[in-house]
Amino acid sequence: MALRRKLKAQVLCAFLNFALSPGSEPHNRLAAHLPKEDEHEMEFDTATSVSQSPVKHPLPELEIYCYLLVLIYLIDQKKYSEAKACSSASVARLKNLNRRTVDVLASRLYFYYSLSYELTGDLAEIRGNLLALHRIATLRHDELGQETLLNLLLRNYLHYNLYDQAEKLRSKAPRFEAHSNQQFCRYLFYLGKIRTIQLEYTDAKESLLQAARKAPVAALGFRVQCNKWAIIVRLLLGEIPERTVFMQKGMENALRPYFELTNAVRIGDLELFKSVAEKFSTTFSSDRTHNLIVRLRHNVIRTGLRNISISYSRISLADVAKKLRLDTANPVADAESIVAKAIRDGAIDATIDHANGWMVSKETGDIYSTNEPQIAFNSRIAFCLNMHNDAVRALRFPPNSHKEKESAEKRRERQQQEQELAKHIAEEDDDEF
Amino acid sequence: MDPQLTEVSQLFERFKAACVREDVDTGSNLLSKLKVMLTGFRSLPPLFEDTPNAIHELTLARDIYEHAVLLSVKIGDQDAFERDFFQLKPYYTDASGRLPPSSQEYMILGLNLLRLLVQNRIAEFHTELELLSPTALENPCIKHAVELEQSFMEGAYNRVLSAKQTVPYKTYDYFMDLLAKTVRDEIAGCSEKAYDYLSISDARQTLLFSSDDELLQYINEEHPEWEIKNGVVIFQKAKESAPCKEIPSLQLINQTLSYARELERIV
Repeated sequence: MALRRKLKAQVLCAFLNFALSPGSEPHNRLAAHLPKEDEHEMEFDTATSVSQSPVKHPLPELEIYCYLLVLIYLIDQKKYSEAKACSSASVARLKNLNRRTVDVLASRLYFYYSLSYELTGDLAEIRGNLLALHRIATLRHDELGQETLLNLLLRNYLHYNLYDQAEKLRSKAPRFEAHSNQQFCRYLFYLGKIRTIQLEYTDAKESLLQAARKAPVAALGFRVQCNKWAIIVRLLLGEIPERTVFMQKGMENALRPYFELTNAVRIGDLELFKSVAEKFSTTFSSDRTHNLIVRLRHNVIRTGLRNISISYSRISLADVAKKLRLDTANPVADAESIVAKAIRDGAIDATIDHANGWMVSKETGDIYSTNEPQIAFNSRIAFCLNMHNDAVRALRFPPNSHKEKESAEKRRERQQQEQELAKHIAEEDDDEF
Repeated sequence: MDPQLTEVSQLFERFKAACVREDVDTGSNLLSKLKVMLTGFRSLPPLFEDTPNAIHELTLARDIYEHAVLLSVKIGDQDAFERDFFQLKPYYTDASGRLPPSSQEYMILGLNLLRLLVQNRIAEFHTELELLSPTALENPCIKHAVELEQSFMEGAYNRVLSAKQTVPYKTYDYFMDLLAKTVRDEIAGCSEKAYDYLSISDARQTLLFSSDDELLQYINEEHPEWEIKNGVVIFQKAKESAPCKEIPSLQLINQTLSYARELERIV
């Protein structure tokens, strides 16, 4: 990252001249993208390089690295159309290379290729290319490339809200152990988004929370996004996230709308919910969470209903409708049906008396006399034991790196010590006899 | 104009006339012939080639599929609707830049949403919803479907049934009838749990039958466990659990054994 800030036109020119011989084709192609500000310096450079060793055969890795540097420079300078051209050229070049050593650089190049197209708004164009590249990477067993390209494809589909196609691709693509932590985080985030839209909230919550946890601390924007979606999924599941989630360093401003939303859901007040949703509607639309917020209305009503059922042993349906602030044509009948559905779903424990038009809450009863605590304890114990087993399993692989660091001297020392110990034990045995 | 194109157009006119006459058999026959002829055009999906008549062919094909969708609603064939709609979708999404917008686009999109709701495919409903732009969401047909789904989720079933009166187009009636049936089953399920008993007139009102006989028939068919005494429908509540419950001994033994086993593993 420190290198990125130092990338300037002169530095790049000098590096290109050093790495690739000036007259060669790749050099010309790359140098064409750089601005010809310092004509004078360029000439000076070419003069000196000519006097140096005449012909250098650049390694393909070096060439790809140069492409990468130029691309990063162009994107940082906001020259997006040129970046597009450069990245397309680099991808064409990569298709011919089939060396495993280039893989890591290639995957970064694919990422910037997709980024340059996204910044110019042309993502749909490269979808075919990305799919072809993914095929090629799979054939060559280039796992890092496969991972990166799968993530780029998912990002492509999700950018256009094509959740159906994204899910189809994700379910059929070959899966393996993640090589790169960052790619794995991204994959979890996209997976979480897809699952949220498909109404599978439990899976979504797991993926999103894992992504937020695994993400490096420096990736603030990514973590903010993960947290936003995770908050909404938790609200949709009916649980209220704690206040500390919103107070994380650096995220307070971004998460403010969601904080107010959580408040409205927690209180169960429809009016407040509607006003908050309207107030921050632009934020929600830009985050693409608008449709999910609309789904939250149902949760607000449920929470309100639960509060009412706990506080009142008997309450008329007209009052229920008033408290929930149902603003429809026929609030009492609506309230009746909503309460009936809530009872059926098990959200509240009550009965309705239609003739008198009121709702009677049941006694909650003593939970400790049932099996509930036993079941809850059992799940917690099982979780802890599982975690212990996983930790032990992770410990089994010996740290190989340490063995190599042991120099010859230390090994001799250790062997000497072991011999002495063996002799000692043998002597002890003899003594005992 | 292309002779193939003229032939297709003429057949299409006959097809439209058959639909207007409500002659579904002729309509279906003509439709199959039209579909076969459409395969001859190279400018249609999935090829999307750029032939000289491309725009005209695309518009024609789109109209044909729109009418096919409406015909399937008339017949009441949901599979055919799904098939034709899937064939119609690329025209709305990929070719939307090249063709002038169709007047029936939103109506058909709304119909599709309604169909997914009736078939209880809520996940696909929401996926389709994500694909719609904010302007599309303002359209009355789409709004109608979205509000319907909301009321259905919340449980305000009376709103669902009153929405039947406010359908934007007559073609929606078929799906609204199916929806009414689903809603009635839901209401019955909810009422079972929520009420101890209901008078016959109240039950009739909630379940939206027009006469007591229909109500009794419905109860006999679907819910024989409900009792009818003295003009009151009594729902069978689940038997209250006996005060001294059995200890689930097998489960407890299994759990304790697993604890012992795991603890043993801890060195």
